[in-house]
Amino acid sequence: MQVRSVTITSFRNFEALTQQFAPGVNVFFGANGSGKTNLLEAIYALCLGRSQRGVADTVLLRDGAEVYRLAGELTTDSRSTHVAVAYQKGGRRKITIDEVPVRPAELFERFCAVAAGPEDSAILSGAPSQRRLFLDLHLSQHSQTYLKELVAYQRALAQKNAALKGRMDASLFDDQLIDYGSAITLRRAAFVRELREASRPYYRDISQGEAFDMQYSPELETDPECDDIAIIKAAFVEQLERNRDREMYQKTAVVGPHRDDLAISIAGFPARTHGSQGQWRTAAVALKLAIYRMLTDKRRMAPLLVLDEIFAELDDYRTSALISGFSGFEQLFLTTAVEPPEPLRTNATRFKITAGRVERIG
Amino acid sequence: MAMFASAGTIERLVNALAKLPGVGRKTAARLAFHILKMPQQEAVELAEVILEVKEKVGFCAVCNNISETDPCAVCTDPRRRRDVICVVEQAMDVAALEKAEGFVGLFHVLGGRLSPLDGIGPDDLKIKELLDRLRGEVSEIILATNPNVEGEATATYLARLLRPMGVKVTRIARGLPVGSDLEYADSVTLTRALEGRQEY
Ligand SMILES: Nc1ncnc2c1ncn2[C@@H]1O[C@H](COP(=O)(O)OP(=O)(O)O)[C@@H](O)[C@H]1O
Ligand SMILES: [Mg+2]
Ligand SMILES: [Zn+2]
Repeated sequence: MQVRSVTITSFRNFEALTQQFAPGVNVFFGANGSGKTNLLEAIYALCLGRSQRGVADTVLLRDGAEVYRLAGELTTDSRSTHVAVAYQKGGRRKITIDEVPVRPAELFERFCAVAAGPEDSAILSGAPSQRRLFLDLHLSQHSQTYLKELVAYQRALAQKNAALKGRMDASLFDDQLIDYGSAITLRRAAFVRELREASRPYYRDISQGEAFDMQYSPELETDPECDDIAIIKAAFVEQLERNRDREMYQKTAVVGPHRDDLAISIAGFPARTHGSQGQWRTAAVALKLAIYRMLTDKRRMAPLLVLDEIFAELDDYRTSALISGFSGFEQLFLTTAVEPPEPLRTNATRFKITAGRVERIG
Repeated sequence: MAMFASAGTIERLVNALAKLPGVGRKTAARLAFHILKMPQQEAVELAEVILEVKEKVGFCAVCNNISETDPCAVCTDPRRRRDVICVVEQAMDVAALEKAEGFVGLFHVLGGRLSPLDGIGPDDLKIKELLDRLRGEVSEIILATNPNVEGEATATYLARLLRPMGVKVTRIARGLPVGSDLEYADSVTLTRALEGRQEY
């Protein structure tokens, strides 16, 4: 898919602007704080109805304004659609497709975008919860069923924890935790296998052959390669039984995929403890490009690719290796605070951002 | 003078309306001004029917469904099977199942579902009343609590409680979408769910 144009009103540090974009690579460059990330955010929010940073509408609303509005022309298979996302202070976000009001989920069904940025290093450097969030976000994009199972699992978990704290019968929720939790474990295992295969070539190509590996480490004591739900359920039942006293005593549910993690290694060492900033960045980009590829296959549509400051902390080799892969994308947007590296000065459409203004320069 | 309703009166109406489920202050204010502009007769009718509903409609002492008579029309209907009881969370669920017309037994309304997060336990539901009814000719209890997390947990609780008492316990089949509430399901889905119920 592509974003042909946007009209932005009172969004972040933009007051009012209309801008056309080109197919292929679009580069935004400008000083720190000029609005590059904000512009990516506007483009992403136009496609999917929400910020890639996951922030509230009140934050997106330009300081002092009452209403923000994003409108523009999106194309899929060269069919053009007019999308508008508007928010009024105190109200709800309103979305229209070709002037017809739609549910927010409709954008998710019609369009598709993948965003990568500096915050993704947390997938490598952060706590296990960061890696679960990463898995959950992308798995939900792949599978509606997963999202439903996850929501139900989290609800059952919250109820069980409340029951444990309130001295009520917590075991009433165990059947559901087992059902949903086993399904989640199974789906995560399959997803991670696929993600591993898809991301390793990207990491290798960008890094000149450095080793990168990833394994699902489920909290349930099952083989991460196991694809038999009955075995996973049995393990869940057995572990719940074994930890019943501990759960009562700690007043928290300790068994289940809410304690899963990913074991990621770079150059043969655990990424979290041994990795460098540049290696984390490389791995984060490789993971996002892998997600992009998986989504392309799944949705039979080239998602929009939105890359925020991805060259920061990368050496020259990795930077040019990344750039040489850009030619394969239908459309991508990227930001850089410094002059774009050489190949992007000729093979990309460039925009200079200055304090909330956008100017096409080539 | 009555013509100049004080701001205080409107404020009271807005406050009262805002207490209704799903009504925020903004909507409450809109409704209040709508009522203010209504023809006198319509407003009187609205006020009267609210009073009437509170006076006439109560709960059936047997099944806890809302009813203008006690026992209710379902409990006293001689054509209904008295050996099958369908347990639901709320009176609204009875209405939904009655509309589906697939069920000819009796009902039991729990008046809620187990939810530790809201501090709602078994003692807050009409469970003792359900056990009292088992002394009769009941051969099957159908658990038709909502197919969401709390509804399932409530069904689990009831199944564990009832099974040792020798009564057949069934759960409506999960033909319903995960996480949805019974009252939103259409009649066809509901009828099918009831037909496909399994021993629990
Ligand atoms: N809601 C808002 N209203 C007005 N200005 C905002 C809002 N949100 C962020 N900004 C401003 O936008 C700038 C940051 O823009 P950003 O796009 O993140 O910069 P960069 O170009 O470095 O990526 C900051 O100067 C910040 O004050
Ligand atoms: Mg930025
Ligand atoms: Zn009755």
